[in-house]
Amino acid sequence: MASLQVADLRHTNFGRTNLGRTAVVTLVLATCLASAAFAETKKEYSFAVGPNANISVDTQYGAISVRPGSASQVMVTATLKSEKVEVDLQQMGNRIQIASHLLPGADEATGQVDYEVLIPPDATINAHSSTGPLSAEHLQGDITLEGPDAMVNVRSVENGHVHVQTMRGPITLTDVRNGHVEIASISGDVHLKSVSGPLVQVNSGSGKIFYDGDFGSGGDYKFTTHTGDIEAVAPADVSADFSAHSVLGRVHNDFPLQPKAHSRFSFEAGRSFFGTVGKAASEVVLRSFSGRIRLKQR
Amino acid sequence: MTCSDVERVLPELLDDAPDGALPGEVEAHLKSCSACSDLVSDLKLIASEARQLAANEEPAPRVWLRIAAELRAEGLIRDIESAAARPVLVPVPTSSGRRWSAWWLAPVAAAILAAGAYVISHKPAPQVATHQAPATPVTAPAAVAASVTLAPVPAPAPQQLAQKSARPEFAKSESARSAGVRRSEIESAPSAEDQQFLSAVSTLAPSMRTTYELQLQAVNADIRETQAYVDRNPGDMDARQHLMDAYQQKALLYQIALDRIQ
Repeated sequence: MASLQVADLRHTNFGRTNLGRTAVVTLVLATCLASAAFAETKKEYSFAVGPNANISVDTQYGAISVRPGSASQVMVTATLKSEKVEVDLQQMGNRIQIASHLLPGADEATGQVDYEVLIPPDATINAHSSTGPLSAEHLQGDITLEGPDAMVNVRSVENGHVHVQTMRGPITLTDVRNGHVEIASISGDVHLKSVSGPLVQVNSGSGKIFYDGDFGSGGDYKFTTHTGDIEAVAPADVSADFSAHSVLGRVHNDFPLQPKAHSRFSFEAGRSFFGTVGKAASEVVLRSFSGRIRLKQR
Repeated sequence: MTCSDVERVLPELLDDAPDGALPGEVEAHLKSCSACSDLVSDLKLIASEARQLAANEEPAPRVWLRIAAELRAEGLIRDIESAAARPVLVPVPTSSGRRWSAWWLAPVAAAILAAGAYVISHKPAPQVATHQAPATPVTAPAAVAASVTLAPVPAPAPQQLAQKSARPEFAKSESARSAGVRRSEIESAPSAEDQQFLSAVSTLAPSMRTTYELQLQAVNADIRETQAYVDRNPGDMDARQHLMDAYQQKALLYQIALDRIQ
């Protein structure tokens, strides 16, 4: 009787072990199949280019990161998340076009391609990704970044023009100098840290605009929102001609402004202010329809 | 003739036949295809409305050039050498499945800009600049309260508007309340173009429908809110500029959709 019980027990254990092994094997096979289906592939490409090359990168889903590399070469590393997406490349002289090409059945997960692009510092880059993120840093050529939902980050850029456009993606620019900066977003927040140049123009509908910098010297700064708030922080020794007006929102100013004889806005207590600080080297216009505007002294 | 055949030739046909007469095979297709028929009706309506705008109410040439340049860069239009650089729409390659046939958005976006320009151009007599007596340095705006504003159209202060309109049924935002805009005005039905736009998004990118619908509602609410304010304060030049900005935001939304809904 006892030996029979032991035999039953062994049989039961044996059955459990088999079941466990089967489960493990099934799991491994499933993982392998899933890995095959979503096989991540990394591809590298390089192009020889001359001065002032023009590079365009276009993907529906995925990140694009652009950094400086060799002065005469463009290096592209594309990470494809599945076989349902391809990379098309084309070089026409000094112009290079790189684009993701979705195959039937591709979706946001399987159609994703992440790009890391090394370009000559003086090259022009145009990058688009619907999902992003998009980033560019340490460049000196013109930069255009667009993506409806993409988070955009631009850092340490000099001399080139920077154009950014999103629908609701947040935008951050840090240490951008000596170029035209034009930013448009429908509802994305815009953060500018140490950004200066001959033209810095930001327009957002419901997004907020934050500026932290010295407004450079001799530039035009125009920040506009419809419902979003605007907050600008500048050092006490800033040199600028300020005008601010919110049609329906409130305004606040920390600076001792020298009054001006003429202003683009009518004065309304609490809804506008204008005046100069220092030698008024730059012009700063802050406008909102119903957002709050605040000019703070650092 | 298929729908894609019609879409391919329609822009040129409409350009060449402003009176609306179309070739027989196109007409035959339109009789049997309500989608194409609706599309043609909409395009004719847009073209008709656009013609209503006088030349001096059109946006600056650089606006058109910029739109054309962007469309050309996207490959949506091309120049015919024999047609003196007049751009025409070209079919978008669909092999990649990346772009959708929504070239009609281009004239719609242009019409939005034109409408914005029309609103802005219909401004009253220019407002006289504010004059301020020179004064000592000031810290707060209150110090320039002695400034004199000479405006040809007396407008109630926003605070007064807010007091008049502070009723609970009014729009949810503080700004809307201040402007005296009713909720019914804020949430009015979308236009035919907006419906067509959302319909295209629903068909070709259903996952993005809600996103674009919300953005469109917000932009439209901004336009209506600002328009209501401008109607009450026709002399407020800055509000007029915000109205133009709001139209540009809507054009930007269409442009983003035109660019990349997949």
